[in-house]
Amino acid sequence: MRESKDILAGLIGLVLVFIGWWYAFSFTPVDAQQGAVYRIIYIHVPAAASALGLCSLGLLVTSIWGLLKPSEKILQASRSWVEVGLIFTTITLLTGSIWGKSTWGTWWTWDARLTTTFLLAILLLAYLLLYNSLRQGKQRIRICSVLGILICVDVPIIYKSVSWWRTLHQPSSIIEQGGRTMDPAMYNALLLNIFLIAIFSTLLWMIRFKNLRLHDQMTQDSFEGVS
Amino acid sequence: MTTFLRQLTSLTTHFIRVELANLERLLSPILFSTTILILFFFAFSPMDQEVFVKVYIAQTFLSMFFALQIGFARIFEPDDQDDAFTLLRTYKPIPEAWFLSKYIVITLFGVLVISSTMGLSIFFNQSINISVASWSVFLVAILALLGIAALGLLLSAMMLKADAKQILYPLLYFPLTTPVLLAAVQCSQEILINNMSLSELLSSWLGLLLVFDAIYIILSTLLFGELVKSE
Repeated sequence: MRESKDILAGLIGLVLVFIGWWYAFSFTPVDAQQGAVYRIIYIHVPAAASALGLCSLGLLVTSIWGLLKPSEKILQASRSWVEVGLIFTTITLLTGSIWGKSTWGTWWTWDARLTTTFLLAILLLAYLLLYNSLRQGKQRIRICSVLGILICVDVPIIYKSVSWWRTLHQPSSIIEQGGRTMDPAMYNALLLNIFLIAIFSTLLWMIRFKNLRLHDQMTQDSFEGVS
Repeated sequence: MTTFLRQLTSLTTHFIRVELANLERLLSPILFSTTILILFFFAFSPMDQEVFVKVYIAQTFLSMFFALQIGFARIFEPDDQDDAFTLLRTYKPIPEAWFLSKYIVITLFGVLVISSTMGLSIFFNQSINISVASWSVFLVAILALLGIAALGLLLSAMMLKADAKQILYPLLYFPLTTPVLLAAVQCSQEILINNMSLSELLSSWLGLLLVFDAIYIILSTLLFGELVKSE
């Protein structure tokens, strides 16, 4: 019963994402300079917003909470945010690379935002490695919470990297001083996709969190059974 | 406050004595940075004068960065060997005093590494008619050290109970210290290439470096206590 609810939640999330893409692909004009390839922003930008915004905020909140009231439950909530964040950071890097090939003529360049996003992916991966290399207990909760907070410090750097360094990456066109530079139809489609991917991320987080709790419960039960 | 200062003074003196008693721990990072510097010089010489300054900054900062990592990763080794962590359960020092005493020791050690690396780098570059010796660049390197030493110490405390600390430490140290290193390198380039002063850089790269120093020092001081708490 519980399993079918999770599958249903996942399917609803996927349907919402496809609705967003269908809207963006059907009702937005082609970009004057980049042609149809610009439409990758409807995957790239929402994935980046989810990784840098929602997942980082989730990680920050659960990490602070983990330090104030250490519990395995809150640590698993943090870990789930890291895993979802890693998925969306990887999607951001992959879609950015595809977009880069068509606009800059290269799959990869050591651009500031690319480098800092890549560093974020490494840090999220390192969080998971550290989590696995520590024994269960309050010390693990504290250590992972401290690392969670440190990782979140990296997020403003990624966001501001485009304005701090002179880079190939285009400046922000959604939140910008002096008005938006984007066509209203494109802007609305982008906002819709950001919103829908955020819902999808939250659903993914909920499913993963439940899985980790279940795994923890099963491990505990098997230990009690042995003893 | 008096207890804090008393603990800070006695812990700092103790940690300095421990470091001096094991001179190989102090000398090995310096030798390591010298080796990296030699490799860099061998790989890049002879060099075009235009790129010389950029390469000088990159090789000096990278050598220091790698050498410091070795020192930071081993800062709790003596405490671990002497069972200090077990003994500290019975008489707990104030975590901030413990952190700051280690921080003072590691910063002093870092200043030694920075001075020797920069000195050697300037010495090796004598054949080229460009002066790279600059007190401003030295100050920038010290400011970078203040930030990465705090972070290095915190990471070292985090790794105490980790199984794969030799792999995990650099995996966390390098990405997290990148903003400080980038700001320090950019500051040095502006000083040596564009002849900018430190006060001019305060609103750009130097400001960013100071902001990250403050973030890392404050976060590390606050979070260190959480890491050394008993289960």
